[in-house]
Amino acid sequence: MKLLTNIAPVKITLTVLAVVMLSLPNWVGAQVLVPSGSFHSVMPEVKGEPVAVNSFYMDTTAVTNKEYSEFLQDHEDWQPGNVPSIFAYKGYLKSWENTNSDEVVNPDEPVTSVSWYAANAYCQSVGGRLPTLNEWEYSAQLMDFDSSADAREFANRLMSWYSTFDSENVGDVGSTGIENRYGVKDQFGLIMEWVQDFKPVIANDLSLDCGTVGRMQKLGNAYSYAASIRYITRMSFSPKSTNSTVGFRCAYDVETIEEKEASL
Amino acid sequence: MKSIKFTFTLIIGLLLTGITTLSYAQSGEYQIDGKTFGMPEAEVFTEDYDGPPVVGDHLSMLPNLEPLDYEGNKTHEVRIDIIAQEIEVADGVKYEAWTFGGTVPGPVLHVREGDRITFTMKNRSDEPVTITEPTKEGSPFMQQVAQNNYMKAKEATMPMPHSMDFHAGTVAKDDKWRTIAPGQSIKFDWVANYAGSYIYHCGTPSVLMHTAMGQHGVVVVSPKDGYDTDYEVDKEYVVVQSEYYLKKGSGDLFQYDYEAAQNRNPSHVVFNGHQTILHDQPLKANAGDRIRLHVSNNGPSGTSSFHVIGGIFDRVWLEGHPFNEMRGMQTVLLGASSSATIDMIVPEEGKYILIDHEFADAEKGATGTLKAGPREK
Repeated sequence: MKLLTNIAPVKITLTVLAVVMLSLPNWVGAQVLVPSGSFHSVMPEVKGEPVAVNSFYMDTTAVTNKEYSEFLQDHEDWQPGNVPSIFAYKGYLKSWENTNSDEVVNPDEPVTSVSWYAANAYCQSVGGRLPTLNEWEYSAQLMDFDSSADAREFANRLMSWYSTFDSENVGDVGSTGIENRYGVKDQFGLIMEWVQDFKPVIANDLSLDCGTVGRMQKLGNAYSYAASIRYITRMSFSPKSTNSTVGFRCAYDVETIEEKEASL
Repeated sequence: MKSIKFTFTLIIGLLLTGITTLSYAQSGEYQIDGKTFGMPEAEVFTEDYDGPPVVGDHLSMLPNLEPLDYEGNKTHEVRIDIIAQEIEVADGVKYEAWTFGGTVPGPVLHVREGDRITFTMKNRSDEPVTITEPTKEGSPFMQQVAQNNYMKAKEATMPMPHSMDFHAGTVAKDDKWRTIAPGQSIKFDWVANYAGSYIYHCGTPSVLMHTAMGQHGVVVVSPKDGYDTDYEVDKEYVVVQSEYYLKKGSGDLFQYDYEAAQNRNPSHVVFNGHQTILHDQPLKANAGDRIRLHVSNNGPSGTSSFHVIGGIFDRVWLEGHPFNEMRGMQTVLLGASSSATIDMIVPEEGKYILIDHEFADAEKGATGTLKAGPREK
C-alpha cells in the first residue's frame, strides 16, 4: 500500500485496525477513532522528525445543513441576523432562505458560509472541538493506493479540484467516494474545512510569495503541491470568513468519547 | 463555564486575525531623485460595496488605452475588484477564470509618471458579479466590455484568497501586496515613479496558478516629458501576451492543468486573452501611420519574441522607459513580465501579422492582425 505523503512503498504495521463506529443518541453523525501516528506535512519541521499526532475521534462526514439548522434552533445567538459582526462576515449562511430544519434546502449537503467562530460554537455544543490542523491533515493523508501511479493520479485530481471549486454544485456528504483507511470521508472533493489552528503561528514566517509553494513542496510530489495550496488558502482566511466552499467537521478527545460511552 | 470557554475562543480568534494585520510602521513619505517613496500603511477592511467592479476614469479594455486628458500629475481613485468569471479564451474553450475586473487580462490602467494611485480592491470571488451591464458609474472599461463582450464573460463564484502586485509600484510587498480573504477589501497608495508598461498580477501562492488562472493585467505609465515621437503617433494600442494551461474538465468547461503549467507546456498562447481576438477584431491603421504598441508579456512562464510580419520597429523603448531607446528592431525579446513600447511606421495598405516569433507559441495562438487601409495624408 502507498500513502499520499510518502509515495515510496509503506508497510502497514497495524494488523488489526480498531475502527470504532459510534452512533450516540444525542450526537450528530458518527465518529471514528483515528489512531495515533505521524506524518510529514508541507510546513517547516525538525529535519527527519515527522509530526506526531495522538489518537482522536473525528466525524466521518462534515456537518450538514440539517445538523446545523438543528443547532440553530437551540442556539438563537448563531442564527443569521443575530450574529455580531465580530464573529462572522455578512456572508454568514447567505444561501439559507430560512432556518427551520423541516425546510432546510439541501439538508444532506455540508453547511458552508460559516465562520471559524460559528464552527467552534457548533462543535462545542456537541461536546467536541474543531480538529487541529495536524489532526485533520494527518487523517487526510491516511489513504491507501495500490500504486504510486494511482496516488499521483489522485493528487493531480486534487489540483484540478482546487482550481474548479463550484459552490453551486456541492454534493451530499459521503458522496465523493473518497475515504481514509479508518472511514473518514470527503476530506477532499467536497468542501474545504475549518481547523482549530488554521493559521499556525509559523505561518507568519512563511512570507506568502512566488517562492512559498516551492519552499513548501518538501515532499516533491503532486500531493504536496496540492497540500501547499490548501495550507496557504486556509491560512489566508480570517476567523470571520464565511466562504461558500468552507465548512467543517468536529473532532473529539479520546477521553471525551470514553466518558460518554461509560455513561451510557 | 461555557461563556468562559467561548471568550477563550474569541481571544484565540483575535490572535489569529492579528497575525494578518501586523502593523508596518512607515517612516513617512520622502523623495529621492524626484521619486516618491514611503507610502502609508495599507488598510485591510470589510465593506458592503456591490457596485461596478472596475472604477476609474483611465481604465480601458484591451487593446484600448484611455487618453490622459489632464495636464501634469493627479491622484487617481482606482478600484479593480477580484471576481470569478466564466470566459471563453478560444473557440469552444471556456473555463472559470480568476480575474481582476472580469476579463483576462484585466483592465488597462493609464497614468502619467509621478501620478499617485489610491487603489481599492475587494475580494468578491465568493459573489456572482455581472460585468456586461453598462453602468453610469464605473469606468470606460465597463462600457467597453458591455459593448464588446468577446470573452462571453458570465458570472461565476470561486472563493479563494487573492492579492494585487503592481509592478508599477515601489512598495513593501508584505504590506501593500497582502493577501486578502474573500469578503475582505484592501486599500493602499502608490506612486508611478517610473515610466513604462508594467504587469500587475496576483501574488498569492501558487503565483503560477493564480496568474495562469487569469489574474494579470497592465499599467501603462506615460513618461512625464513624453517620447520623442509623440506628436507623430496616429494610433495607440496595448497588446498583452499570456499563456493558458487548460485541459478538458468533466463537463463543458476546461480547467487548470497543473502538470502542463509546471512543465511550461501551455495549451494556448494568446494576445489580449483570446486565441483569435486580434484576427476577429484586427488592430486598424492606415498606410503611413505611425502606430504605437505597448506590448507586455504577462507570462506567467513563457518568453515572447515579438515581431510584426512586414514591418520593422522604428523605435523601441525597452520596458517603455524613454531612456531605453532602440531603433530598427525586427524582434523584441520579452521575458516573463517584461514590456516594450514600440513605434512602427505602417508601410502600405494591407495586412500585417503580430506574432511571437517563437513559432511553437505562434501556433498555439500568439498571432494577431494589423489591418492597414490606404494612405490618407
